[in-house]
Amino acid sequence: MPPSNQQPLRNYRVLDLSRIWAGPYCTKLMADLGAEVIKMESLSVYDSHRGPVSPARGIASYPDSEPGDEPWNRNGWFNCLHMSKYGITLELTSDEGRRAFERLVSISDVLIENFRQGSLERLGYDYGALRKHRPDLIYVSMPAFGNTGPWKGYLGYGIGQEQLSGMAHLTGYPGDGPMKSGINHGDPITGSHAAGVLLAALRRRRRTGKGMYIDVSQQESAVAFMGPELLAYQMTGEEPERIGNRSRWYAPCNTYPCADEDRWITIAATNDTEWAALLSAMNAKGLADDPRFATAEARMANQDDLDAIIAGWTGNQDAFALAERLQAAGVPAGPVLRGPDLLADRHYTERGTFVTVDHPQVGPKQYPGIPWKMSATPGEVRWPSPTLGQHNREIFGGLLGLTGDEIDALESDGVIGTKPTGSRII
Amino acid sequence: MPRLQSLVGDATISGMSGLLEGVRVLDLTHHIAGPYCTRLMAGLGADVVKVERPPAGDPIRRLGPFASRPNVFREYGADEPVEDSAWHLYLNVGKRSIGLDLKTGEGRQVALNLAGKADILVENFAPGTMDRLGLGYEELRAVNPALVVTSISNFGQTGPYRDWRAAEANLYAMGGLMNITGEPDQEPLKEGAPLAQLGAGQNAFAATMAALMLAEETGEGQEIDISIAEYATNILENALMQYSYSGQEYTRVGNRGYGRAAWGIYPCQDGHVGIIAGPDHRWPEVARIMEREELADPRYGSRRGRQEFADEVDALMLPWLIEHDKVDIFKAGQESGLGFSFVATMKDILEMEQLVARGYFVNIEHPVAGAFTYPGAPITCEPDADAWLFRRAPLFGEHTLPALSDWPGFDGARVNELAGKGVVSVGQTVSEG
Repeated sequence: MPPSNQQPLRNYRVLDLSRIWAGPYCTKLMADLGAEVIKMESLSVYDSHRGPVSPARGIASYPDSEPGDEPWNRNGWFNCLHMSKYGITLELTSDEGRRAFERLVSISDVLIENFRQGSLERLGYDYGALRKHRPDLIYVSMPAFGNTGPWKGYLGYGIGQEQLSGMAHLTGYPGDGPMKSGINHGDPITGSHAAGVLLAALRRRRRTGKGMYIDVSQQESAVAFMGPELLAYQMTGEEPERIGNRSRWYAPCNTYPCADEDRWITIAATNDTEWAALLSAMNAKGLADDPRFATAEARMANQDDLDAIIAGWTGNQDAFALAERLQAAGVPAGPVLRGPDLLADRHYTERGTFVTVDHPQVGPKQYPGIPWKMSATPGEVRWPSPTLGQHNREIFGGLLGLTGDEIDALESDGVIGTKPTGSRII
Repeated sequence: MPRLQSLVGDATISGMSGLLEGVRVLDLTHHIAGPYCTRLMAGLGADVVKVERPPAGDPIRRLGPFASRPNVFREYGADEPVEDSAWHLYLNVGKRSIGLDLKTGEGRQVALNLAGKADILVENFAPGTMDRLGLGYEELRAVNPALVVTSISNFGQTGPYRDWRAAEANLYAMGGLMNITGEPDQEPLKEGAPLAQLGAGQNAFAATMAALMLAEETGEGQEIDISIAEYATNILENALMQYSYSGQEYTRVGNRGYGRAAWGIYPCQDGHVGIIAGPDHRWPEVARIMEREELADPRYGSRRGRQEFADEVDALMLPWLIEHDKVDIFKAGQESGLGFSFVATMKDILEMEQLVARGYFVNIEHPVAGAFTYPGAPITCEPDADAWLFRRAPLFGEHTLPALSDWPGFDGARVNELAGKGVVSVGQTVSEG
């Protein structure tokens, strides 16, 4: 086994200009794998996940809904995505800022940004210009629709990618309209795809010495998840029907009510064995002989009836106890877990799925951790998400070798700092 | 000019190599999550040898629709492989298939021979299955210490739910995603696409790449444990964080944005659009585009104001939306700096001008299923890198002979002997020019 302190990406530095979620999820995975990720923000337009400079009180993404004196450092929305990253600020509008940026580029393996298309280029930093400072740089540019094509300048939010990729078209009930999800799936999908391909590009660079320009269209990345449905459409000539929580392949499969308010259980029987197990758990002898449910095909055809029977059975039962019972019998079943359930769940607790991290302006809170377990190099959350400009001295001094006086000058000139100077937040 | 790449047959014809050329992946995956992980590897040019169990192979082959039977969604018979399932065709693009029964002693030995020549092994059996097959990590490590072994499962290789069964709906529920999707007064809803399984597959790909790089440095592989439900918990973002921070539960809000108004899906003349009414300084543009002066009312000028008067805002927007087409609305917003969107149908996606202009789609010919348009690279690398290649999905057992020859060096007689014993299955091969 490699020593556990040898994180796979320990020798790689990522200069991270990305904001919101898609880019930051990519660099979160890189940080989880041990990369040195330097998150660079502007004091005038910081990552909008930090929230407004002067938010209204009562917003739940702040600790106890209290924004505090520096709300931009206390937003859970931001603080769950940037753990184990360094945080710096730098204004690219000044000469000193540009010089520092170019020096950072020169010592970085990867530069990643998800600005609106062309933003960095307008500052004079296209791939060719960046390569002058780092010839083998891997530059990941991830605007919503990619860097070419008629829509390249268009804006995209995660909510939009779910729609433009067709995901929303598939979600919802028969006869009703499409439905959005509770999160913006397009972002983590893009971030994870980008991380995997970026690693393949780093591996290639190790073998060939060549950098790479990677042009990420967030939309294309999301459409990659729709491949089977796109083939299905070409085969059937018909748009897919929305089917709620059901499956096209087996029945029953649905979300059924349980005792107590807003408590639900999901149950599926994907084959005859699981169906038999469900019947025995339900102790519903009559159903075994019911011709409506005798075969897998019949259960598909009669699933309205089947769902009504199962819902009648689950309705007054405890979702958690029932799931345990069904699983013991061999039936795929699970309660719909809510936020408090997740953080207290015995399985996730045992696996360390959520980690408690003590942020200096928030205190100890639970966060989603590293989304895999690697046996030899498990990694860890090394430190909380950085406050705005938290690591300016460490990076500009320790890494670039600027003197204390030089850093002071940058600060007094407003090139770096720890207090926001604008409020252009959506 | 729109460009539609047409790539047929194997990589030698296209003359490309792929970013992962030379990487060998022993693919013991089936269904959705594992195959999506190895699909990304195959797309980047790795030699992915997919082990399929005789006689019918990966069960996903029996989930439709099928090219030859568009109205059938499930093949219930399991005696022979089905070649033209939409799911199989997409998820197994670019892989080689060998028919191999891992439950036989000799089949296990063949798997170890293959593992000895591989860089990566990916599997998504139920936890404990690999151990029962005599293919546990220690046994694999004994034949190949540098092997990276990636396991994808519902709940992970440890913990109280390790052996729990789960379909996508159960994973969505237990991963926290279902609770936050749907209407507040109805049951929680899952996504129509299997996003939890696909997402876990892509995360597995990233982790495996990193472990491969380390193994190449140190000569030491390792095990990676990926849980699909855990993937879901990792992407809850504020839906989890606001509870962690303030104890306030996130709730379902239907098609309205959480804590927002005019931020969601609305009907229009020919379908549905996504209205994203922000940032605040752009809101007056919405009133102008929609030709409703009332929308410029200062009461609606801020996020908070729009939320307070959400029903009024909707009522003012709807008449205009219902009279206009989705693409026109999308572009009217975008041209005014608003991140509008529209709900694309499958047809819309295949014809989308942006995707076509970027040459996103690839046309892949399959000897049984025929030619279809497939999504191409999820991430575009510079052309000179020859990063991606797209070869069709394999027929069951099509590569039993060549793969067992290329990797462990079996000759034809040896393969025939194993075939005679039912350990391997040699499928049909096709010549493509």
